[in-house]
Amino acid sequence: MRSALGRYGTVLALAVLVLVLSLAADNFLSLGNLANVLKNASFMAILALGFNLALITSELDLSFANVASLCSIIAAVLLYGGYAVPVGIAACLGLGAACGLANGLLVTRFRIPSLIATLATGTMASGFAFMLTGGVDYVGKLPAPFLFLGRGQILGVPVLIVWTASAVLVALFVVKETRLGAHMVATGEAEEAARLAGIRVKRMKTLGLTLSGFLAGLGGLLLTAHLSSSNVTIAGGFLMSGIAAVLLGMTTIEVGKPNVAGTVVGTLIIGVLGNGLTLMGAQYYYQDIILGLIILGSVGVSASQMMRAAFGVSH
Amino acid sequence: MPRSVLAVVLTLALTSLSPAPVAAATKLGIVAFQMSAETHARVANAAAEAAKAKGWSVTVLNSRGAAPDHAAQVADLIRGGVDGIILAMGKVQQLEAELQEAQKKGIAVITVSSGTGKYTLFDVNADEFVVGAKIATYLLGRLNYQGNILMQRYEQHVGTRIRGKVMDIELSENTGVKVLATHTMARSASWQDDVRKGMEALLLKHKGEVNAIWASFDGQAFIIDDILQQMGFKKGQVLLTGVDGGKEAYKRIRNPESLFTATIDIPYEKMAREAVDAMEKIVVKKLKRTDVVQGPFLFVEPVLIDSTNVPRE
Repeated sequence: MRSALGRYGTVLALAVLVLVLSLAADNFLSLGNLANVLKNASFMAILALGFNLALITSELDLSFANVASLCSIIAAVLLYGGYAVPVGIAACLGLGAACGLANGLLVTRFRIPSLIATLATGTMASGFAFMLTGGVDYVGKLPAPFLFLGRGQILGVPVLIVWTASAVLVALFVVKETRLGAHMVATGEAEEAARLAGIRVKRMKTLGLTLSGFLAGLGGLLLTAHLSSSNVTIAGGFLMSGIAAVLLGMTTIEVGKPNVAGTVVGTLIIGVLGNGLTLMGAQYYYQDIILGLIILGSVGVSASQMMRAAFGVSH
Repeated sequence: MPRSVLAVVLTLALTSLSPAPVAAATKLGIVAFQMSAETHARVANAAAEAAKAKGWSVTVLNSRGAAPDHAAQVADLIRGGVDGIILAMGKVQQLEAELQEAQKKGIAVITVSSGTGKYTLFDVNADEFVVGAKIATYLLGRLNYQGNILMQRYEQHVGTRIRGKVMDIELSENTGVKVLATHTMARSASWQDDVRKGMEALLLKHKGEVNAIWASFDGQAFIIDDILQQMGFKKGQVLLTGVDGGKEAYKRIRNPESLFTATIDIPYEKMAREAVDAMEKIVVKKLKRTDVVQGPFLFVEPVLIDSTNVPRE
């Protein structure tokens, strides 16, 4: 019982949160609002999922938010330039994956710690975004088929929820059901043992960071389509909240380890909190204070893995 | 176990933080795009104060400069059943889907310095082109249309960018004024340091040649003012202008040691109060939008402030 509470305490917290908010906040439990929560949490979920996949291989990706913004800019620049929608999509996703691959190569080939390498590539991504736009926002004028990616509905379900659920299910399948996923986890948990067991740890780390970049590209793409706009900081706000979602996720299901299901729970807690506090009329600073409390509460449990990813040492 | 404790703490925090519901009070949501920017905060805080004075229930949200948060917060306010929303320096074009929903639900949306959109009622605006023109005309006139200037620009904000472009146009008509050099501020958390380093370097390079400095907003001008004072310049030796207004700007214009010469006072608090008053007329008194404001803008007049009209302490 005690161990189950330890393992699922955060899930229970989410359930309690939903219960409290359904009693305290008008409209919280309405279908429309729940869809609204899931829709708004989708960007954070996708970006946090990428950070999570890199962290599974014990590497940090601090570039994901800036890379997502750059990918968003690329899509907007191309679509404004009259290129076909598939070109914009491919460029956006391809650039994200390329940035992730570059991170992976910097970490594995040039032996630069991921903390520093991804900080540098994130800064460069921001520089390129400013170079392309001069800081000016791209607003409106995007083709309807492209906007459908972020604003459409499939059988009444917002397409953003479908994208997020698909990304989560694929990530869960890869990590839990495939040899590749097992190798990624082994690399992150015990790099030297994994190497001795014949696992190509450099390749796994590169893969983790590349997937993070790809998901940053997907996040940037969906943000652009949802907001029908792009700017150099469009995804900037997700750096802290995305990391917080992963940290929070490490407090549950597979305690102390980055895990996909936990990241979803973490994202939902942050999303539900933001929505619920607004419905209850709480002022904006409480949201920051509570997010800080969440990070503080979860970091104790997840500190060991983060230290290993940041500095290559155990806490 | 710590997770269960965390859950309890959060639950308690949530229930204690939520204000008691106000029966039948008008519910107003105010969304500021970036509360850490002084002008955004001035609008949001003044609007909140004005609405509370009317006995309304007010929720102020900060989008932290992130468009996705901005959209999510407006969507949340709509779900929360507010009667009206005021956007402070909002991104109207990027909120089209949410604002359309607000209109469908009969929620009035008034914006301040945000531009107009299909689904908002009107925008309370000082018109940055007018602001830019006033300060540019003033500075060039004070120079008697001759001399050398430095420019401190900021291109990543629409308002400051417009002011710079208007200055460029006025300079093209006044060829006796030469721009010796320009420093463009980077968008970063340490922008003050960026301005200081950039302008220090330019002032050292062009020592003795500079007659005036144009800054895109007052915050930059204050930093440049400090540099000039440290370099030993005296009031009047170099003209220095900014835009925004407020107590600090007035204080420096009055200060005999300061080189800060003039600013354009954009009355953000007045703009916020105008938005709340208009909201009251439309939401509470049920007046037609067209009876409150004609057209998509409610323009307020930006005022040039220099030593001749600076308010007394």
